[in-house]
Amino acid sequence: MKYSIHQITEGEDELILRYRELTPEVERMIQFMNRGQARLSGKDNGETVLFSPEEVLYIETVDDKTFAYTKEKVLRLDMTLNGVEDYLKDISFFRCSKSMIVNIDKVERLKSLPSNRIDVMMQNGEHIVISRTYASEFRRLLRGWKN
Amino acid sequence: MSKKNDKPTLWERYLTKEIGIEFKACLYFYALLFFYCIFRLVCGRTDASIWHMAQMIFSTYVMGYLQVYVFWNFDEADALQAKEILAMLLCTGIYTGVSYLCGWFDKNPVATLIFAAYVVFLYVCVFLVYRTRRRIDDKLLNDELQLFKTRDKSR
Repeated sequence: MKYSIHQITEGEDELILRYRELTPEVERMIQFMNRGQARLSGKDNGETVLFSPEEVLYIETVDDKTFAYTKEKVLRLDMTLNGVEDYLKDISFFRCSKSMIVNIDKVERLKSLPSNRIDVMMQNGEHIVISRTYASEFRRLLRGWKN
Repeated sequence: MSKKNDKPTLWERYLTKEIGIEFKACLYFYALLFFYCIFRLVCGRTDASIWHMAQMIFSTYVMGYLQVYVFWNFDEADALQAKEILAMLLCTGIYTGVSYLCGWFDKNPVATLIFAAYVVFLYVCVFLVYRTRRRIDDKLLNDELQLFKTRDKSR
């Protein structure tokens, strides 16, 4: 695939992808472009804010309300956890329990626990335990068996 | 990255646990059998009672259930603390009692006491093996995590 890069001095940064057929390579490019575009909307102290999913450490449902946790704040989302999961399916988010989605890029360390569970230490020092039910899928994902 | 359709069913989850117990039963059965055979050889006998072996298989299977469902799966615990040590001693006591009642070692008190020490040693060894395995797994997991992060960013 040919590509060209031009530096501009005016106007907005722009990525243009021209393709004839939707090959896996093109799909990967689109995924890459989409991930920069994806935005989540949440409420912080009554104010609606747009933020990038890449800022999120994990997303959790508590009493049917969905919250996104970043390093600095907790934002209440308007979407359900399943909705968020579908929306973020091309980004490095993993459904690690019935009520939680974790951002793998924000994982600091992993620890193997008895009974095939995994302790996930996030970049803010919080620990999340992935149960055996979800741990096998998580291992498969890390090994790149499923994308 | 979602996993909605890949979630194990209740049956699969039960089966996973059951396989774990079967594995434990096999592991401990072979360890008990080894001690039993050594005892028989020391006594100058080269035969083994099928009835005794059947009792061993049955008791290790029952103990597998007890360990997993009652005694916090102590041999796979992160650390050996008071609760785990208590469970270990209780299980050792049960094995020792069964061995004495069933006459695995001809109701010989010395052999039975050595057997009790052997069971404790066995539990400690199994605990150490599991812990070592988890440490190796930690390393693999973190290597895969770093690789995933790099790969994910390069996509």
